[in-house]
Formats: sequence, C-alpha cells, structure tokens
Amino acid sequence: MNIAIILASLVLGVYAIAVVESWSTYGRLRLGGPALSALALLGRESVLARKPDRLFFETAPVLLLVAGLLAVAVIPLAPGLIITDMATGALFLNAALAYVLVALIMAGWGANGAYGMIGGWRFLGQFIAYAMLIVMPITAVAMRAESLMTTQIVTSQLELWNIFYQPIGFVLFVIAAMGLAYLPPLDLPLAPGDLAGGIEAEYTGIRLGVLRLGRMVVILSLAGATVTFYLGGWLGPWLPPWAWSAIKILVVTVAMLVAGRYMPRIREARYLALSWKLGISLALANIFLVGVIALVVPI
Amino acid sequence: MMITGARGGTFSGLRRLVAMALAQELEALVVPGPEIARVHGLDLAKAGLPLAATPRHASVLLIVGDLPEGLRDAASVAYAQMPRPRAILALGAGDLAPLPAADVCAALSQDGLLGGLSELRRAFAAGAFRDDITDFEAPALEIRVEYTCPMHPEVISDKPGNCPKCGMVLMPRETDASGGDAGHTANESEATMTQHNTPAQPLKAQEHSKHASAEAAQYTCPMHPEVVSAEPGSCPKCGMFLVPVEDKDVDDKHSGHGGHGDHGDHGEHASAEAAQYTCPMHPEVVSAEPGSCPKCGMFLVPVEDKDVDDKHSGHTGHGGHGGHGDHGKHASAEAVQYTCPMHPEVVSAEPGSCPKCGMFLVPVEDKDVDDKHSGHGGHGDHGKHASVEAVQYTCPMHPEVVSAEPGSCPKCGMFLVPVEDKDVDDKHSGHSGHEGHEGHSGHGGHASAETVDGIEPHFMSMVDVTKDLPRSSDGLQMDWLEVPYGPFFPGLPGGLGLQLTLDGDTVSGTNIRNLVGYSTPLISTPLKPDDFIARLVKMMPHAPVSYGFLAVSALENAAGTAVNTNTAQGRAAALERERIASHLSWLADFGAQTGFRWLASRAATLQLEVQVADIAQIAALNSAITALVSRLQRAPLMRMRLKGIARLDDGADAAGPLARALGRNEDVRNDNEIFSALGFTPASQTGGDALARLQLRCDEIDQSLKLIAAAGVITAPVVEDIGKVTGKGEAALETPRGAAHLRLALKKGEVISAQLDTPSTRHVALIEDLTAQQELGDALAAIGSLDLAPWEIAGENRV
Repeated sequence: MNIAIILASLVLGVYAIAVVESWSTYGRLRLGGPALSALALLGRESVLARKPDRLFFETAPVLLLVAGLLAVAVIPLAPGLIITDMATGALFLNAALAYVLVALIMAGWGANGAYGMIGGWRFLGQFIAYAMLIVMPITAVAMRAESLMTTQIVTSQLELWNIFYQPIGFVLFVIAAMGLAYLPPLDLPLAPGDLAGGIEAEYTGIRLGVLRLGRMVVILSLAGATVTFYLGGWLGPWLPPWAWSAIKILVVTVAMLVAGRYMPRIREARYLALSWKLGISLALANIFLVGVIALVVPI
Repeated sequence: MMITGARGGTFSGLRRLVAMALAQELEALVVPGPEIARVHGLDLAKAGLPLAATPRHASVLLIVGDLPEGLRDAASVAYAQMPRPRAILALGAGDLAPLPAADVCAALSQDGLLGGLSELRRAFAAGAFRDDITDFEAPALEIRVEYTCPMHPEVISDKPGNCPKCGMVLMPRETDASGGDAGHTANESEATMTQHNTPAQPLKAQEHSKHASAEAAQYTCPMHPEVVSAEPGSCPKCGMFLVPVEDKDVDDKHSGHGGHGDHGDHGEHASAEAAQYTCPMHPEVVSAEPGSCPKCGMFLVPVEDKDVDDKHSGHTGHGGHGGHGDHGKHASAEAVQYTCPMHPEVVSAEPGSCPKCGMFLVPVEDKDVDDKHSGHGGHGDHGKHASVEAVQYTCPMHPEVVSAEPGSCPKCGMFLVPVEDKDVDDKHSGHSGHEGHEGHSGHGGHASAETVDGIEPHFMSMVDVTKDLPRSSDGLQMDWLEVPYGPFFPGLPGGLGLQLTLDGDTVSGTNIRNLVGYSTPLISTPLKPDDFIARLVKMMPHAPVSYGFLAVSALENAAGTAVNTNTAQGRAAALERERIASHLSWLADFGAQTGFRWLASRAATLQLEVQVADIAQIAALNSAITALVSRLQRAPLMRMRLKGIARLDDGADAAGPLARALGRNEDVRNDNEIFSALGFTPASQTGGDALARLQLRCDEIDQSLKLIAAAGVITAPVVEDIGKVTGKGEAALETPRGAAHLRLALKKGEVISAQLDTPSTRHVALIEDLTAQQELGDALAAIGSLDLAPWEIAGENRV
C-alpha cells in the first residue's frame, strides 16, 4: 500500500516538475505540456545511433530511472509512509545516486557520438566536484540525528530544522544536489550551447523520454532528500504530514529548477576549483560546528 | 493532408492521439539560425515553437529566407538526422534541393510563421503516420556497402559471396555512392544514422582521420621533437621555426630495392585502405589526407573502410591504438638515440650538436625493435615515425610500382593508392633492407598487439593510446577527435562551419569553413544604384541597415551630392537603432550559448521590438533595455564565466567593439561631425577579454539610446536620384561589428564595380588563436564573443 501511494505521489511529483522545468526552459507555463511531450516522444522515431554500444545505449536511460527510484525508496513522506525505512537510509541514498554517474557515462559512450561522449566524461569531472559535497553535509546531519535512518533524521529536527541548525550544510547540499541532477547552471553534460544536448544528443523518441523521466525522478529524490535532511520532512503545523512533505518538496524543486534560468552555465574548471577549495573547507567547518553544537547545546 | 516526413505505420487508434500531441509539441531546427530569424522579425517563442538543441530533437526544419547551395546541402544532412515524423516549414525560401519540397511554404514574416505553423500542426495531426512512406537520402550522406576480395581488389560486388578468382570470402566495406551501382539506394535508416556532417560523427572514423593526418605531418621543432605540424610555422613551445623532416627511410627503400617478395600482401593492404577521405557532396573527390574539397571547399569526411577493421584487426580506429600501445612497449625497450633535425643521417647515442650544422640533436626513440637495423644511418628519424610519416603510393595491381606521390600506375593506369605499411617483425625478418619500416609509424606493432597474453586483441589502454600524443594545456593526454560544429550549431552563428580537433575536451585545432560569405568582386554586372543598395542589404542579413547606408554614402560620395543635417541625423539614428538591435541579438545568442535562458529570451524579445521601433517606441523601450543591461551585469557567475576568456593582444587585428574593448579608440564615428553634433563619445573598456567585450556592448547600447534620443528622427536608407554620374566613390561606416569600407565606381549612373572590406573578415582570423588549447566551453564562448557575422566574411558567395 505504501509503495502504491508513494509511486502515485511520485508520478504526480514528476509531472509537476516537468511543468516547472518546461516553464523554466521555454518560458511558457503549460499544465498539459508534459503529457503532450510524453505522447509526442512516444510518437517519434527512436533512432539507434550509428554503430552504438548497444548495451550501454539501451541500458543507460533505464539505469538512470532505476537509480532515481531506488533513492526515492528511502524518502519518508509522512510517519510510516516510506517504502523502506532502512537503518542505513542516508547512506543508501548516496549509493543509489552513485549510479547516476554510471548511467550518464554509459549514455554518453553508448551512442558513439562525440558530443555525447564529451558530455559523459564531463559528468565524471562534475562527479568529482559534487560527490564530497553530498556526503559531507549528510555526515553532519547524521551526527545530529545520531542515526542514518531517514525517519530518525526527520524526527531529530522536531525542535529546530536543520536549515537553521546547519545552514552551511544546507547550501552546500542543495548546490551539490543540483550538480548531481545536472541542473542549470551545472548542466555541463547537456550544455546545449557547447554540446548540442550532450548525453541526450543522440537519443530520440521513447529512449529520450525515459532518459528525461529518469532525470525528473532523480531531481525529485534529491528534493525529497533536501526536505528530509534540512527542512524537517513532514513536520509542520495545521496541515497533515504528507501535505507538508509535498509542499516542501515542490518548493525546493522549483527553486532548484528556476535558479539556473538567471545565470550562465558555470565553467567546468571553476566549478571544480570552487567545490574543492571552498566547498570542502566549508563542509569540514560545518561538520566541526555541528559537532560542537551537538555536544554543547541540547537541541 | 499529409507531411512528407511521416512515420511509417497505420494511422489509427492511439496513433491519432499521439499525432495530436506531436502537432502541439513541435520543436524547430532553424536554418540558417535563430539570429537570422530574429532579424526578419520572427518571434519563435511567441509562436510557441521552441528551438531544438540538435536535429535529433527537432521535428520541424524551419527555413528562413533563401539559402545558398552549401547551406541547403548541410540542411539536408540535418533533415536526414531528424527523427520521423518531421516536416519542413519554409518561410520566403526559394529552391530547396536537395531537400524535399517544403510541407508548408509561407511568407517571411511573423504572420507567415503563425499561419504556416498552424497549417503544419493540422498536417501533423492529420498525417503524422502513414503506410507508404518514402525514404529521404541526403546526397551528402550516401554510403553503400560493397564486397571485395582481400586478394583481388578489382573484384567488387554488391552482394556477399566468394571471389570468382580465388574463392575467398568477399569482405564488406563501406564506400560513398560515387562508384557505379546506380540501382542502389541507401536506405533511410542508414542515412539518418550517418552523421558525417553535423552532431556526432562515428568516433572510429574520426580516429581514423586523426591517424592519417598524423601521417601527413612533415615539420617539427628542432628543440621539441614532439611538436609536429603539417605546415611550416613556429613551435608553440619555444617559437623556433619548424624544420622539415626528411624521411630517410623512404629514400633508402626506393634506391636499394628490387625484391619485394611480400608485396602481394602490400597490394591487398593498399586496396583495403584506398579512399580514406571524401567530400560529402562530391563523392568523386577522394583523398588520402583530410582537408577540404577542391570543388566546394567542404570538409572531407573520413570513409570508414570496414574491410580494414575486419582484416587487419588493429588498423583503423581502435586498432590504430593497439599499434600505439605496442609502439610504446617497443620504445621503452629501446635505447634512445639522437639525431639532427636537418641531417637525419647524423645519429648519435648521446645528446650533443650536429657535426654538420651545429644544431642540437633531438632524441629519437628508435622502435625498430631488432638489431638488424643497427647498421643503418637513415634510422635516425625513425623515432618520430608515429607522427612524421611519408605515405607511399602503390598500384593495387602492380605492387612493385611504388611512388612517393599520388598518381596513376605506369603499367595499368590505375590510381595509386596510399600504403600504410603495417607489416611487422615477422615480415621483416627475412629482409635485408627495411622497406617496411616507415610503416611502423603509428601502427608499429599491430601484430604483437593482438598477441598480448590475457588481453583481448582490441583492448584499448588509455595510457598506451595516448602515450605519443602531444599534450594540451591541461596536461592530460587524451584521444583526439575531430568534431564538426555548425553550420547550424546552437551556440555558434548560423552558416559558419567549424571543425574542432578536440584533445579530450580541449581544442587543439580549428578548421573554419564559412558557407555563406560574400563574393569578391561584389558585383559582376552593372547595377542601378537602387538595385545595388538592395543587393547589399540582402547580402548582409546581420546588419542590413548599416550596409544599406554604406552603399548610399558611397554612391553619394561618387556623385558628389550631400544630404541635409536632418536627414544625416536620421540616418545616424537608424544606424544606432540597428546597433542596439545587433548587440541585443548578440546578448540573446550569448545567453543561448551559455544557458543563461532569461537573458536569451529577454534580449531576443527586446531586439524584435527595437529593430522596428520608431523614435517614440524606442523612448518607451529605453527603461526596459537599460534594466536588462544593468541586471545582466549583476548576474551571478557572469564575471566568472567570461573573465580572462578570449583575451586579445593589444595589437590584435580587430575592429569595432573588439578594438574598443582593448582600449583602442577606433571608431569611424569619431570623425563624423553629425555624430559629434549628437554628443558622441566613443565607448571604451580595457582588458580585451570576453567580459570587456560584453561590457563594451552594454555601454554602446546605452550610448546608442542617447544618440537616438538626441537625433529625434529615423530615416531609411534610400538614395536620391544621382543622375548619369561617372566617377568613383568611397565610404566608411561603423557597423555594429566595426568599420566597413566600400569603394565603388559608377559609369553613367550605374555601379560597375565595388570592393567591400568588412570587420568580420578580419575577425574570423582571430578564431584559431583564441580557441587554441582552450576548454571546449571556453573556446565556444571565445568565438561567440567575437560576434561574427558569417554573411559579412569575404569568401565564395552563393546568394
């Protein structure tokens, strides 16, 4: 039952994200857009690239989707409304999303085209930039909750949401999540202006549909993770818990999707430099501060 | 109503629903480019037609205006890449061949676009699927598979089978459509999957081409033997002149040899490798080296010879890498030798200087594994074989015929085919001479590459593969790819074709081919003044008003007439209005290229409004434009994106905004009293990088707004009747991209000759330096920052 409810809300969530993304991309708000787009993608030829690595080419979109779905499994929407409340939930999220990298490199390589391949390898570089900044803020979150269980992390924020408890971690995590979901301005593997769609450049029709759907699920799972780790999950007054989860997740998603509309894509080298030189220092400082606060202040 | 690019299938049930969705979800690939669409007043966003990033995602090929032939060919390739169902919407276009006829034709205006689009949507809804679809083949992409005997290259069949002469199994190979076989039609899927021209080229083919290009290289730096170039020039590391490399080996071979017992094998080899590069448009053009077509100037594309892969397993593409790997192994087992770059016969076991010319000896890794060569003087230069290789040519039928140059066989008249001699140690063992050695060149160890224990034959180690490649600025050794960019690339000006050689994602070479330049001389037959102006306006879609006024000024100069101050100010204002529109268009393109979508859409909207606005409307737009400019300069990541990118030297051959962003006060308007009267002071920035150019263009937008307000009137570029004047005239004018000069001669009131100098012609030459060793995104931002107008670049004109 839980699984059915979560999958249903996932479908709704993905649809909402697709509406926002299409608005952010084309500047037109069309509520029916994603349904039409999906149908249209079904109608278009799904061309197989010339001399592809067939296994990689076919598997990549599905793998991306699966990675996103696995990550969703540990996101609680309300007390008890979670697919699997693992003792290592926060870690599992990481493990599941690690396959995003694999899927993107496979997608880039499989099509046997230069744009895709460069896009895939670029994402490998991007991984080096964001990976530590996903894990280190989660470390600080788990320190406070004294657990890796995602439900435990939510209840640990009963007094004070983590966004206020560890704001540095929040900012780092959101930016890293945008890198992981290759959202603008961190959309280096797609980069329509330099790579003509990059890893998506050789995908058409239904395969492209699955690739884009997979990314939506990844975005949604990351927004869910942000809400779980920093925005108190389902916690909130008046409304039922699931409604709070839904509202928070949508707000985070819209913020992540819209931000990139107002700035140019970052330079790859700058992104790596900032992530390592600034980001990791801040993440370490965050862990230290959270450690001190957790020891000294009992909240 | 149907569309010609319908998808196969019965039109019923769910497909009707899908077709309706398809009709609403059209995505366009704009030919020649969105910036040209905007100049013609087309607002695609308003019409609900999003732009596709690649032909693969497009369903509509939107053709804007008349296309020159080269652009139509490129468009046919892009069209072939679009997945079905697909359609062509032509606005104000003439002949489209080799494209199929447009599904919908309409006038070149926003109304035409809207009408055409709704007609197209109905056509999609009603006929996106049908049973009887027809194939479309882009002529540039035709490839067919033929079968040939490894031993008897003259045996060619269009079916698999056995050789009638020796009974061997015929091997498949791909070839272009030139060679006979009229009955064959390349099928649709083949055509769409072949991408020699736009997005993705098959990587293997590219590697192949890289390979061959390496062999053409003939110049090297005396100090840095790893620097190898096909052309004379100076060393990028130390600036010394590159010196030619003589391949002593080849000479030896030619002089001393009679035997050639193993040459039958050579012949086979050669036949398999014939025809490596061909022109997409002129399949009869075949070259052993990359380059451009002597007929149309297009890039030659590599032809993949399947045969080679199969037979030599290790020769083309990845196979070549195996060779490199092996090369590496051999080299490491070798003693390093030193040789003189000028006198290859000088070989020494120690570094030092040449006894003949005193130059420093350069290290050579002699990879001719065996000591049987030890007596050879000529081996000095073997080491660089991987990159400095002389290709030899031989007759497929008469292997004893060997020539250093292409040509035909003196015995049978067949074309000589290039030989990459890859026979290795096993063959050498019996030789007293060393005819095979030059073949070691990058392919050195194919045979042994396949016999490494525990590693499958095609194993590709990145370390080995990249061992001998020069390093790029990021210090990483990567595989090299030649990737086509343009002529419809979303981040570049439409019509401009680039081929970037990418070392990983670092640009190590740029090859430019403009498909839309203007011809020199400008006119071939005498033209009436009005026709001349109209022609120039049509030729320069990026800045029609500027070039119209340039023609008017030159005509008036020839006729000795002058206009009153009011008209002159109106002209100045029209010029400034175009400058604002042009700079806004550049901002929109820059936004599209860097993913700054708010900028892309906002600047495009304002451009569309400004370019047709009168004085009052411009005054009304003033605040919106200044708001855009100030918001742009505060955008996060903006400075980080552009600072230090594409920095020009102070003395760079740049005009207009590029020169002014270097702090040089170069502006034709400086000497013009009309502009002085309007209160003109030239804008200036320092730094000369992409950020300075962005800021300069922003400053100029503000300044132009003030000039227009001061002028208070806008006039159109018309010339009054100048009578039957005979004489010469010239004019210079500051176009949005810099100073343009026009000189013309009049005879009895008709223009008989004209010469034009444009800023873009100078600026296009900057591309190579600005992109060299830059990361891909930075390189494209660098090209974008130049604001090139491909139509304004002197070259073959096809308007």
